[in-house]
Amino acid sequence: MSTLLTYVAISDGKIKRSSLEVLSHCKSIADAGGFSCEAVIIDENASTFTDDVQKYGASKIYTVSGDAFSQHQNGSLLKALVKVNEAVNPALVAFASTESTKDVLGALAAQLKAGVVADVSSFNFDGNNVSAQRPMMAAKIMGNVDVTGNPILVSVRSGSYDLNENPTTAEVVSLDVSVDSDDLRATLREIISATGDTIDLNEADAIVAAGRGVKDEEAKNLISELASVLNAGIGASRALTESGVYDPSLQIGQTGKVVSPQLYIAVGISGAIQHVAGMANSKVIVAINKDADAPIFEVADYGIVGDLYKVLPPFIEEIKKIKN
Amino acid sequence: MVPDVYAPFQIKDGELLMDGDRMVLNAYDASAVEEALVLTEKYGGDVEVICIGAAKASETIRKALAMGAAKGYHVQTNGDESYDSSSYAQILADFLKSKEYDVLSFGKQSQDTDSGLTGGMVAQLLNLPYATNAVGLEIEDGNLIVKRQGDTGQEMIALPTPCLVTCSNDMNEPRIPNLKGIMASKRKPVESIAVADMDLDAAALEAVSKVTSYSPVPARAAGQKFEGEPEEIASKVAQLLDTEANVL
Ligand SMILES: Cc1cc2nc3c(=O)[nH]c(=O)nc-3n(C[C@H](O)[C@H](O)[C@H](O)COP(=O)(O)OP(=O)(O)OC[C@H]3O[C@@H](n4cnc5c(N)ncnc54)[C@H](O)[C@@H]3O)c2cc1C
Ligand SMILES: Nc1ncnc2c1ncn2[C@@H]1O[C@H](COP(=O)(O)O)[C@@H](O)[C@H]1O
Repeated sequence: MSTLLTYVAISDGKIKRSSLEVLSHCKSIADAGGFSCEAVIIDENASTFTDDVQKYGASKIYTVSGDAFSQHQNGSLLKALVKVNEAVNPALVAFASTESTKDVLGALAAQLKAGVVADVSSFNFDGNNVSAQRPMMAAKIMGNVDVTGNPILVSVRSGSYDLNENPTTAEVVSLDVSVDSDDLRATLREIISATGDTIDLNEADAIVAAGRGVKDEEAKNLISELASVLNAGIGASRALTESGVYDPSLQIGQTGKVVSPQLYIAVGISGAIQHVAGMANSKVIVAINKDADAPIFEVADYGIVGDLYKVLPPFIEEIKKIKN
Repeated sequence: MVPDVYAPFQIKDGELLMDGDRMVLNAYDASAVEEALVLTEKYGGDVEVICIGAAKASETIRKALAMGAAKGYHVQTNGDESYDSSSYAQILADFLKSKEYDVLSFGKQSQDTDSGLTGGMVAQLLNLPYATNAVGLEIEDGNLIVKRQGDTGQEMIALPTPCLVTCSNDMNEPRIPNLKGIMASKRKPVESIAVADMDLDAAALEAVSKVTSYSPVPARAAGQKFEGEPEEIASKVAQLLDTEANVL
């Protein structure tokens, strides 16, 4: 029986929701096709997450633990994934697309001589091949892709699938992987943590995103206030991460993160294709821009044409009223 | 070299129709070239560029030479192969295995496909230490110091050379070649070799992923646009988010 293995990513001591979305989808493919749905957790404290992972239907959970996995390093993750592949011999390995998985996907595919497709928005597996859809040309079109190989590696954009609980009792198998300096090859000297907002944009239900129109402290304060009223994460366009106004990890778009919250409010963002590529799958999009012809209005469900300094204060007030 | 994402296109019966001549230097590769130039201007050394592609690729190579690279390699294809990242990685690794270098600098992804796989593949095939998604590079005691944009913060990573790095466009603003650079680029050497003449097994170049057809991105339903008194339209939209969109 073919095995579909989902890599469940841990970030900041928490399971990445997007990897449970992928696991939920693998479970449904496995049920439909008669495959085995399994999961792997690679983290300093991998075993503490197995209870939460088995809620999503993995019949077997592999854990790889140890100090070597306390921080992301491509050498250790790569070695662990190669070892897990040897032990499990899966037909398919599915990942949520994150910077950490992007960091190892190509190398892993080369090492395993595997088939690979990155950043898909949907996929299926027929027992031999993967068929997938992935946005291309700055997300202006969809490519329908066929992938062959054994195994086949697939990474999936966050928000592509719903979480679907499917509780089982999983068999937990712990695998030993030792990592030495030959595996690491590089030295991680320091991690400069992102400043400010701690809401994971991939998991936020609402995002307030600021663009070049947000020019000064007054505007930044309005953005913060709106975000706090909505319990939203703050995102930014490249114009503002590049100039250092917001932390680089908040960039949304082709270079930055791809997000799909329930509510996305773009403030002072023109709507360049590279920005839209990262947010067009949001459920409801609101745009606030003083230029009535700004392209962001083409993707907005609700467009407010106006100066953000004049629009945001009454907008925040009204939302506060509704929330109370 | 990638198709210009701003070029007009059409999808007809699953086929993508666009002007095949509108090819540009991949933005992420432009950043890779720029940073390599900055580092060699500071520490010495030469920048050489390589592009695998049909005849058009020579223009992309000229562009990098005009920016300041010293030499180009053009690995020629017919242009009708259905290569993917894994095919290109095989060719690059084979080409590079006999070359000497300190740093191999890649774009973090191709602007048209966003695959982001080739760099890591080549690193593995050549058994090189590597880092992806670099937003800053420095050299220190013979190590390449990479500032990498990770999921939640920036990682400072020291790579012994030779090594490989993939670059984000958040690293720099690539220079626009000036007239002098463009003139000089015409005299710079470009070595050409055809993939067919390389000692490569055709099966190893087979794409593992093939685009079988293209579809339009599902269109979003037309939205509503509000113009007028800021106070009025702001509270109107807030109410609609509550009563109509149900997202508050
Ligand atoms: C390969 C590549 C990758 C890229 N990746 C990304 C990415 O990941 N993310 C990203 O964001 N960009 C990305 N870009 C850059 C992108 O092309 C745009 O340059 C960028 O998104 C512009 O940011 P902006 O909309 O904030 O600024 P601008 O385009 O300058 O727009 C500012 C907007 O604010 C409005 N405005 C100004 N003042 C006010 C006011 N007082 N009230 C209301 N509205 C106001 C203006 O009307 C204007 O529409 C990428 C580019 C390339 C080439
Ligand atoms: N045909 C090619 N010639 C030279 N470099 C390439 C080629 N294809 C991919 N690359 C390099 O690999 C990077 C990532 O490619 P991709 O896997 O297509 O996203 C690019 O930014 C380039 O640096």
